Amino acid sequence: MNKPFRPPRWPEKLLSRFCRHDIADEIIGDLHEAFIWRAETEGLSKARSKYFFESLRSLKPTNLKSFHHLSLNTMIFRNYLKIAFRNLLIRKSFSFINIFGLATGVGVFVLIALYAFQILTFDHFHENRDEIYLAYKERITPDGTQATYDTWVPMASRLKETYSEIEVAAGLYNTEARIVKNNQFLEEDIIYTDNSFFDIFSFELAHGNPGQPFQDKNSIIVSELMALKYFNKTNAVGQSLQLFLPEEDTTMRFIVSGVLKDYPINTSLQPQLMIQMTSLPVYPRFANNWSNSFMYTYVKTSASAEELEAQFPNLVEAIWGEEIRENTQFKLLPYEAYYDEFVGNKADARTLLFIGLGILLIAVINFMNLSTAQASQRSKEIGLRKVLGAYRGQLSTQFITEALVVSFLSTLLGLVIVLLSLPYFNEFFDLDISIHLWPWWTIVGGTLLLILILGLLSGSYPAFYLSSVRVLDVLRQKLSFGKSASLRNGLVIVQFVIAVFLISSTLLIRNQIEFMSRKNMGFDSEEIMTIYASSHDFTNQEEGIVRLNTFKNQLKQKSYIKDIALSRAVPTSWTRSFTFVRPDDWNGDPLRMRFTYVDANFFETYGISVKSGRGFMSDSEGDQRNSVMLNEAAMEAFEFKTADDNVIKIGENRINVVGVVEDFHFESLESKVEPTLIFHRTADHAVHQFITCKIEMSDLQPKMEEIEEMWNGLGSTNTFNYSFMDDRIKRMYESEERFLGLISMFSIISIIIACLGLYGLTLFIIQKRRKELSIRKVLGAEVTGLLRLIFKDFALWIGLAFIIGVPLVIYFINDWMQSFYYRTGVSWLSFGFTFLLMAVLISLTVGYQSVKAANVNPVKYLKDE
Amino acid sequence: MNLQLGVLEEIILIILLIRDETYGVDIAKEYQDQLGQSISLPAIHVVLKRLEKKGLVTSQMGEPTAERGGRRKRIYTATNKGYEAARDLQQKRSEMWKLIPKLHFSI
Repeated sequence: MNKPFRPPRWPEKLLSRFCRHDIADEIIGDLHEAFIWRAETEGLSKARSKYFFESLRSLKPTNLKSFHHLSLNTMIFRNYLKIAFRNLLIRKSFSFINIFGLATGVGVFVLIALYAFQILTFDHFHENRDEIYLAYKERITPDGTQATYDTWVPMASRLKETYSEIEVAAGLYNTEARIVKNNQFLEEDIIYTDNSFFDIFSFELAHGNPGQPFQDKNSIIVSELMALKYFNKTNAVGQSLQLFLPEEDTTMRFIVSGVLKDYPINTSLQPQLMIQMTSLPVYPRFANNWSNSFMYTYVKTSASAEELEAQFPNLVEAIWGEEIRENTQFKLLPYEAYYDEFVGNKADARTLLFIGLGILLIAVINFMNLSTAQASQRSKEIGLRKVLGAYRGQLSTQFITEALVVSFLSTLLGLVIVLLSLPYFNEFFDLDISIHLWPWWTIVGGTLLLILILGLLSGSYPAFYLSSVRVLDVLRQKLSFGKSASLRNGLVIVQFVIAVFLISSTLLIRNQIEFMSRKNMGFDSEEIMTIYASSHDFTNQEEGIVRLNTFKNQLKQKSYIKDIALSRAVPTSWTRSFTFVRPDDWNGDPLRMRFTYVDANFFETYGISVKSGRGFMSDSEGDQRNSVMLNEAAMEAFEFKTADDNVIKIGENRINVVGVVEDFHFESLESKVEPTLIFHRTADHAVHQFITCKIEMSDLQPKMEEIEEMWNGLGSTNTFNYSFMDDRIKRMYESEERFLGLISMFSIISIIIACLGLYGLTLFIIQKRRKELSIRKVLGAEVTGLLRLIFKDFALWIGLAFIIGVPLVIYFINDWMQSFYYRTGVSWLSFGFTFLLMAVLISLTVGYQSVKAANVNPVKYLKDE
Repeated sequence: MNLQLGVLEEIILIILLIRDETYGVDIAKEYQDQLGQSISLPAIHVVLKRLEKKGLVTSQMGEPTAERGGRRKRIYTATNKGYEAARDLQQKRSEMWKLIPKLHFSI
């Protein structure tokens, strides 16, 4: 009979596997027949879909085999498990290498994955994140655009009024407040914003009115943490809190109108205290102020950012006029890009994730190699199973089962390692990895998936390969492992490539970081201590200036203080203030340039060399009003040819350039030294924020205690806040140092795992070749000759690994170094060192076994034949 | 006799009585011919099992055929008990039907 239509096969298989035998024929046959009938009457596709659904619907409990019948196979399955465990126990060293290596790999991978996903899902807490933008400004200058992210108080409302596409807009300002409690001032972060904040971001209230989080001018919203800290309970609504706001120079009383629900740690905004901008007494002064910018303006819009940006020039013109339109534009930064711009670097997380996968791959390769290597020892078992009637599929199942047992044990062990090491890991690298970010089912599901993937990945090749062994070959002892050996060698080379990559990258990254922290910054960083001292931190600013001046003079009296200076900013946390400036005789557009204030002693204290002209003269009224010092970069920007008699103009003010200082690195070496204007202000001005002391470093403890005591007598609302310059410099490279630390640790682990695998493999190779070696020895081969025989392969592998690995490293490192303006090149010495390190490690790993094998008495292995 | 029969059970039982010897797909075809509605095979199978449990039908295995993919069919036959059950139900229903005052629905 001609049958044009065939139903799909798998539902039939499914049914015959799971349906009771006495009904299977009826159901399957009926379905089959109905399929043909329906295909003829109703069309193929309808027949097919009915066939599919009716097959599934036929799997009802009454039709199924009882569990007992189904588990006819558990006996053979139990046998697989038994054999798997026996095998693990018989070959203890192999098992240890497998399980321990895989567990370490899994542990490292999970640790990295937790960290990486925490970074990669940063700010994903905000449901509207695709529609949130940070509105900012860009100055168009002759050398390109300069972005600054602070905007003006009226910006948010103006954007919302002007563009109907913008659904919500909110201004936000981060600063510090002091909570006044029992005559003490406790420092806390605070955000000034308004109710729209809650329409943009996904923060919710645990207590309070979600429709109107801020009730009135006296409202304050606190985080759960703050509520617990100050009121010992989470529902703090209605409680009052007294705040001193240093920048506003006021003390105000607020009533808690809402408590924030707990939010995940991987969000950029971590609000602790929030009040409304409009609550501030100074608000009316800024409500329509388009000159002082300090707010961050967020908008939420489902419209396209480009289309909005294209309309912004008109708004700029409406606010400031036609001239400004030419040199200023508004832009929208997608919130997704916020992390990379302000917080950290998602690319590093991605790199680490790849490293984690690499380490896992090394461990998996170990397992694959060792399993196939065992093949020769187990070939008799396989042959016997085949003779007794095992199908190939059964043998594959057996090996996959064994692999799953190993991956199950290793994954669990790996997770235990993660749980145990996580606190130390967090502490050591100053991280905040938390498993509580993930719901339990993702962890359980992820674990099962990992077990399955690892088991299949590491078990599939051995299963496929070992089960295909031909019975006759086994029994005739004709088995050759040539094919598996070449694959094994390939896998070992992959391991070596990963090792080469990790070791040399680590060394090269180390080079760059060493270079940055060793490089002469252009100022003294030793014996320099900075104290954060701002007159704004005093409840009375005038009084503050006087007291700080007294403090400074007292310090100056101390024998251990060699020099002392005041300044607005210090290197490592340099000025972010800009002004427009042009050379006196220049008709072009003014340049936008940073400026800061120092006192007359600043350059001397920091050992910054004055290249030409003079430094500032203390107490010189003229210096304070119309003198400026430039750095070399500024000289260049102004295109001044000679050092003397230069004049610059800010607005209509003419200012004399009294001197030039050498460029010093006031910021991390990631960025180029930028042009800076340095003005002079004496201690009588409120602009200064730092006191810098050159201090005798010996026997520091009592000195610091003395200074702290002096500070505490001043009556500042700020605690004694000091740091040493070399620490500050180190802190600038904190994230790079951390990255280096992580990658160093991971490369060490990867080497250990790779060596472990290599050790196992050598063990196997030598076991297999010891008869050959013995015969060679009997025939007169030297020990060195035998060793050369063993080492030849490894030398070849290392060589190949370098040929493949080095270009990868160069590509990666060049990419990584892009983010640094001052960089070291790729040093070949690092590759040399990598080579040496690997050669030594591999020789040690392989060497012990080889030397033992080469020195053994040949009789030992020859006598039993 | 006191046997509860569902509507679908009754219809399939009647189909069995019509066809004398029949099986799943055949019932589906007949059902479709008589009632102009399609029915799914699992539904028929469930009903047949239920009828068999109640002793209204018996079954035995038939021969495998090519159009069934080499599977055998289970052939169902209604028992006497089945015939009686269907008949009783039918009679009771006709008696009840006579009680409906015709006028009410004459419009």
